[in-house]
Amino acid sequence: MPNMISLRIDGELVRVEEGHTIFQAAEAAGKQIPGLCQMKGLSPVGACRLCVVELAGVNRLLPSCTTPAQEGMSVTTQSARIKSYRRMIVELLLAERNHICAVCVSNNHCELQALAMKLGVTHVRYTYAYRSFPVDTSHPRFVLDHNRCIVCTRCVRVCAEMEGAHVWDVMGRGVGSRLVCELNRSWGQASSCTGCGKCVQVCPTGALAEKGCAVEEMIKRGQSISRLAETRGGVL
Amino acid sequence: MRRIDDLSSFHAAREAGLAKLMPNVPRIAVGMGTCGTGNGAEAVYHAFADQIQGRGLGYKLVRTGCFGACSEEPLVNVRLPGKPLVVLHRVQASDVTAILDDIAAGRIPAELALCKIEEWDHITSHVQYGCDYREIPLWNEIPFFQGQKKLVLRHCGLISPLDIEEYIAVGGYEALYKVLIDSDPERVIEQIKLAKLRGRGGAGYLTGLKWEMMRKAQSGQKYLICNADEGDPGAYMNRNEIESDPHSLIEGMTIGGFVTGATEGILYVRAEYPLAVHRLQQAIEQAEGCGLLGENILGRGFSFKLSMVEGAGAFVCGEETALIRSLEGKAGRPTPRPPYPAQKGLYGKPTNINNVETWYNVAPIVIRGANWFQETGSAKSPGTKVFSLVGKVQRTGLVEMPLGTPLKTFVYDVGGGVAPGRSVKSVQTGGPSGGCIPQDMFDTPVDYETLAQLGSIMGSGGMVVMDEDNCMVDVARFFVEFTHSESCGKCVPCRSGLDQSLRILNKFTRGQATEADLVTLDEISRMIRDMSLCGLGQTAPNPVLTTIRHFRNEFEDHLRAKRCRAGVCEDLALSPCENSCPLHMNIPRFLELLKEDRTEDAFLSVILDNPLPASTGRVCQHPCDNRCRRAGVDDAVNMRDVHRFIADSAFADDALYARAMARLLAVRKAATGKKVAIIGAGPTGLACAYYLSLLGHEAVIYESNAAAGGMLRYALPDYRLPKDTLDREIGIIEGAGVKFVFNTVVGRDVMLNDLAGEYDAVFLSIGTWKESWVYLPGTELTGVIPALPFLEAVAKQQPVTVGRKVTVIGGGNAAIDSARTALRLGAEVTILYRRERKDMPAIPEETEAAEAEGAKIVFLAAPHRIVGDAEGRVKAIEAVKTRLGEYDSSGRRRPVPTGEVIRFACDTVVLAVGETVDLDFVKASGLKLQESGTMLEVDRYSLETSRKNFYAGGDLITGASNVSNAMGYGKKAARNIDQRLMAEKRWSQLWPDFEYAQSAPHHPSESGRHHVREVDAAVRAKTFHEATLGLTPVEAMEETCRCLRCDVRNGD
Repeated sequence: MPNMISLRIDGELVRVEEGHTIFQAAEAAGKQIPGLCQMKGLSPVGACRLCVVELAGVNRLLPSCTTPAQEGMSVTTQSARIKSYRRMIVELLLAERNHICAVCVSNNHCELQALAMKLGVTHVRYTYAYRSFPVDTSHPRFVLDHNRCIVCTRCVRVCAEMEGAHVWDVMGRGVGSRLVCELNRSWGQASSCTGCGKCVQVCPTGALAEKGCAVEEMIKRGQSISRLAETRGGVL
Repeated sequence: MRRIDDLSSFHAAREAGLAKLMPNVPRIAVGMGTCGTGNGAEAVYHAFADQIQGRGLGYKLVRTGCFGACSEEPLVNVRLPGKPLVVLHRVQASDVTAILDDIAAGRIPAELALCKIEEWDHITSHVQYGCDYREIPLWNEIPFFQGQKKLVLRHCGLISPLDIEEYIAVGGYEALYKVLIDSDPERVIEQIKLAKLRGRGGAGYLTGLKWEMMRKAQSGQKYLICNADEGDPGAYMNRNEIESDPHSLIEGMTIGGFVTGATEGILYVRAEYPLAVHRLQQAIEQAEGCGLLGENILGRGFSFKLSMVEGAGAFVCGEETALIRSLEGKAGRPTPRPPYPAQKGLYGKPTNINNVETWYNVAPIVIRGANWFQETGSAKSPGTKVFSLVGKVQRTGLVEMPLGTPLKTFVYDVGGGVAPGRSVKSVQTGGPSGGCIPQDMFDTPVDYETLAQLGSIMGSGGMVVMDEDNCMVDVARFFVEFTHSESCGKCVPCRSGLDQSLRILNKFTRGQATEADLVTLDEISRMIRDMSLCGLGQTAPNPVLTTIRHFRNEFEDHLRAKRCRAGVCEDLALSPCENSCPLHMNIPRFLELLKEDRTEDAFLSVILDNPLPASTGRVCQHPCDNRCRRAGVDDAVNMRDVHRFIADSAFADDALYARAMARLLAVRKAATGKKVAIIGAGPTGLACAYYLSLLGHEAVIYESNAAAGGMLRYALPDYRLPKDTLDREIGIIEGAGVKFVFNTVVGRDVMLNDLAGEYDAVFLSIGTWKESWVYLPGTELTGVIPALPFLEAVAKQQPVTVGRKVTVIGGGNAAIDSARTALRLGAEVTILYRRERKDMPAIPEETEAAEAEGAKIVFLAAPHRIVGDAEGRVKAIEAVKTRLGEYDSSGRRRPVPTGEVIRFACDTVVLAVGETVDLDFVKASGLKLQESGTMLEVDRYSLETSRKNFYAGGDLITGASNVSNAMGYGKKAARNIDQRLMAEKRWSQLWPDFEYAQSAPHHPSESGRHHVREVDAAVRAKTFHEATLGLTPVEAMEETCRCLRCDVRNGD
C-alpha cells in the first residue's frame, strides 16, 4: 500500500499517493488545471507553463505538472495573476505561428482553441509573427504542418516513450525551434517511423493530422493513448 | 616529473618551485593571458627570448597569466634577485632592448613601472621579494588596486600557469594534502558551511549545503562539475582565472571530490576559450604526472579522475540542468527541478555543480579557516568577488573586491570615472540576466541581496559602466536581442515572450512605439520573469524591468518626444550634433550650405532653426562639441563659431540679409487669428514668440525692462556679446512679426488672469534674476554684492563702484563674467571655488580667458567668513581649504574642509553662487510648483502648467541654465502651443526644402580644429570691446570641410 499524503487545493482537502504531481492530485480531486504539453501517460516536461499554480509560502509560481505534491501543501490553481499569465501564454502561442482556425483541419477539435475560449482570449495584443515554416506532406498517411505546431513535444515523447521509435525531436532554438524527423529527413523517408500514428493522436493542434481531412474533420483520439499507457502501467 | 607521494617529495617540489620563482638571476615574466596576447604580449615575449639568447644572458623568462589591469596590457614583471617585483605596463617589443640594458646594469626601467610588490600574500603561503625602489608605488597604492583584495586571484600574473612546481612553491596542493591526511570530510564541509561560501556563478546558494546534500546522496557513482561556461557579454573573470592559475581549480575540485565522495570531475569549459582549455589540459596532465590527480592521490588511497569537455557556446548551457544535458550529448535544454542535480544529475547520478570561482575559494578556506574567510566581505556574503570592470571607465580590468563594497568605489576609485567632460549614467551588473543601476544609487553595496532588491543580480560579475552616450532603451534592446537568440525555445514565455519584447523594444528604438507598448512591455516582462522554466528566462527580462524602473523617462522620450538623448537610436536623430543641440539645429545642413558657398541659404537655414544665431554663436555652451564624431579623429568641428560666422557675414551684407529675410517671411503662415501672450523677453520668450509668429499667430511679449534680450542684454557683458549684435538679431524677431510691450511687469502692471481672458494661450518665461544668498558671516558688510545685479548695473551703464581688490565666490559663468567685468573696471580679481577645475560649470574657454586676463583662481577653497573693518566695510575674506572626499550623487568628489584657513585681503566680494526665479507672482496665480518649491511644474513634453493653456519654459522650470537650453524650451513650447491651438501638426511646414549634397566626404579635410581668434589678453582686459573675433572665411570653410556628415543616410 503506497504512502498517502494530504494537501489543500483551492482550499479543498485532497489525499493522494506519494509521488503524484500537483497536477495529478488536482485531477484526482476533479479539478482540471489547464495545460498543453502535459498529457496523461507521457513524462512531464514543464514547457508550456500553463499549469502553473501558487503555493502558500512560496513566492515563485510552480508548474503543477512537474512539482511533486507534498504533505501539507496549500495550492491555489486560480488567481488573478495566474489567470492573466495563462491568457498571455495563449496569446503568445496564437501570435507565434499561423493559427487561423477557420481553415484548420482541427477547427472545433483543437486544444489550443478550446483553451483560448475557456480563458476568454477574445483578441491578441501582440504582433502576429507569422514565420513561414514548411509543411511536410511526404508521409503517405499523415501530414505535418509546422505552422500550426506549438512545440509541446507530446509527439516526441509518445514516439520515444511508448512506441520506442524516437522518430521526432526538436531542432534549432528560440523562435526557430521546430520539430525534426530523425536527423532532419522528410517524414516519408524516415526509416524508424512505424507509421503507428500515435504522434498524430496526441497532437493538441492541427500540426499533425491524417491526410484527407478537410476543415474541422480531424478529430484526435488522445484519450486512447492515455488509456493505453495506463493499461501498460509503465508510465504514471 | 617525479611522483609526489610523501612529505619529502612534496618539499622537494616546493624547493624546486621556489628556485624558479625567485631565482638568483633576474626573472622576467610576460603576462600572457588572452588580454595580454591580444595587446601584443606574444611579440614582447619573443623579443625577450631572442635577445636573452642572443646576448647570452642567463635570465629566467616565463609566461604568466594576467595581473588584472587590462587597460595597462601588456604587463611584464621584472625581478632582480633580492629586490621587489616590479610590474611594467604597456610594454612593447620595441622597449625590450632598453629594459634588458637596464636590467644588465642592475636597474629597473622606472618610466615603464606601474607598481612594485615587496611582499605578497599568496593566502596559502607568503612571499618576501625584498624592499627597494622608493620612487615606484606599491601595488596597492595605485588607484586601480587600492582596496582590492586578491584572494581568488592570489596567484594570477605572478606564477607560471604552466608549471606545477611554481604552484606548489606558493603553497599549492597543501590544502589537498591536509584534507587527505586529516581524512575528515565532514569537518571540511563544516568549514565551508561556517565560512558561508556562496556560489560565485551568480545565484549565491550556500556551497556547504550543496556539498552536504551531495555527500549524503547514496550512489556508487557521483559527479562533480565545474561550470566554466562563462557567456555573459562583458564578463571574462573565469577565463582569466583558468588561464593564470589552473592548478587552484584542480586542487579545489579534488578536495571537493574527496569530501563529497565524488569519483569523477568534469570541467565544462567554453570552446571559445582556447587558451584556458590548453592550459587546463596541461595542468591536468602535470597533476596526474605528479600523482596529485588520478589514482591513489598523494599515496593516500583516494582516486579522482578529472576530464574536460568543451562547450559549444550556447549561453543556456551555463544553466546547470542544460549543462548536464549537454554533457550527456543531448541538446542543451534545461529540465525542471526537482529533481535537483544532487539527487538526479548527470546520467541520473548525484551531481554537484559549482562555478569556477567558487572552487578557487576552497583551498584558502581549508588552509586559513572559516573565521579568517569571514573577516572579508559582508556578514551575509563573506569573501571577495572578481568583477570585470569594463565600459566607459578610464581603467578597465579584473577587480577583486570584498563583497559589500559600494558601487561608487568600483566606478570612481578603481575605474577612475568616465572621460573628462562626461558623466556616468549607470552600471550594468550581471550581464543579460542583470540590470542597470542608476548613478544616484551608487552608494549601493555590491552583494547578492542588495543588487536583487534593485532588480539586478550580481551574476558572474560583469560590470559595464555607461555614460550619457548610452541609450538605456537600446541597452535593454541589446540584451533582449541576446537572450532572444540564446533562448533554447523549450518553454513558451521565454521563447515567444522574448520575441514579443524584442519587437516592442525595436519599435521604441525606431520611434514607432505607443503608450500601450510600454504597458505591454512591462506586463510581458513580468510574465516572462515569473513563468519561465529556467534561470535564463526568469532573469532575461531584468534588463528591461530595471531600465523601465530606473530610466522610465528615456522610454518616454522615445515614445512621446521621439527623441533619443544619447543619440544611439539612429532613426530618432539626424546626427549626434543635431541631437545634442537643445534647439535641434540642423548643423550638417548649414555646414554643407556654407561649404557649397551658399551663404544666403546657410543663413536662412540657421535663422529658421535659431533666431539668435550671432548670440548663441558667441556664448552657447556648445554641447555639440562633446558629441561630434570628428573628435574621434582629432577634435570636434567648431560648429558654434561657423554658425556665428554665417550670422556675422549676413549682418555685414545688407542685400543678402534682406533677401534672406524676405525668404523667411515667405514661409510665414497666414494669420490664424489666435493670440498668445509671452511673459519675458529673454531667449526663451523670444524663441517662442518668433516661432508662434511664423506660424501665423499674434505673439505679444510683455517685458519689465525697456528692451528685449533678457540675460543676453542685462547679464552678459559687452565683451562677450556686443549690444549692437544683439539688436540686429532682435530685428529678425521683430521682422517676423513679434510685438513687444516694454516696461510692464506682469503681476503689477498686468495681471495673469486678465491675460488669460485676452489671449488664447500664455507662455511664461521669466529668468533667474534672484541671486541666491550664502549664509556666511559678514555678508551684511558694505562691499558684498551679488553677481547678477552687479552685471546688470554694468550692462545698463549705471554707476558701479568696485574696489581695487575683488574676490568672486563661485565657479559658474556668472562668476567668470563678474570677474572679467571687475578686471575691466580696473580691479585685481581672485575667484574662490570650492571644488576642482574640472568640476566648474563655467565654459572652459571663458575660465581660461579670465586667467589670461589676470584673474587668479583658487580651487578647493570654501568661503568661511567675510571680515569687515570698523566702518563696516569689507576688509578681507577667509576661506577654508578643502580636500576632495567621497563621490557625491553628482559624480563629483565632495569637498571636505581641512580646517586650514586662508585669508585674502579684499574690499569687494561678489557672490555668484547661483540664481533662482522670483516666483511670487506665479504663486499668487495659483500655478503648481515642483516639490522643491523653487520651480514651476509643467508636463515634461507639452510644457503645459497645471493651468490649461498656460505654458512655461526656460529657467522657470529648470532653474538657472544657459541660453541655448532656454531657447530650446521656447521653440518646443511654440510647437506645442500651435498644435493645441490649431489641432493639427503644422510644425514641419515651416522648413522649405533645401537641396544640398547628400554624401559623406571621401576625403574630409585633414586640418585640425580652428579656434576663434582672441584679442590679446593685455589689450582686451582694459576694454569692454568684444574679446573674440570669430573665424576668418578661410577658417570657416576649412571647418565645414572637416565635418564627416553623420546625417547622410543613403548617400552616394
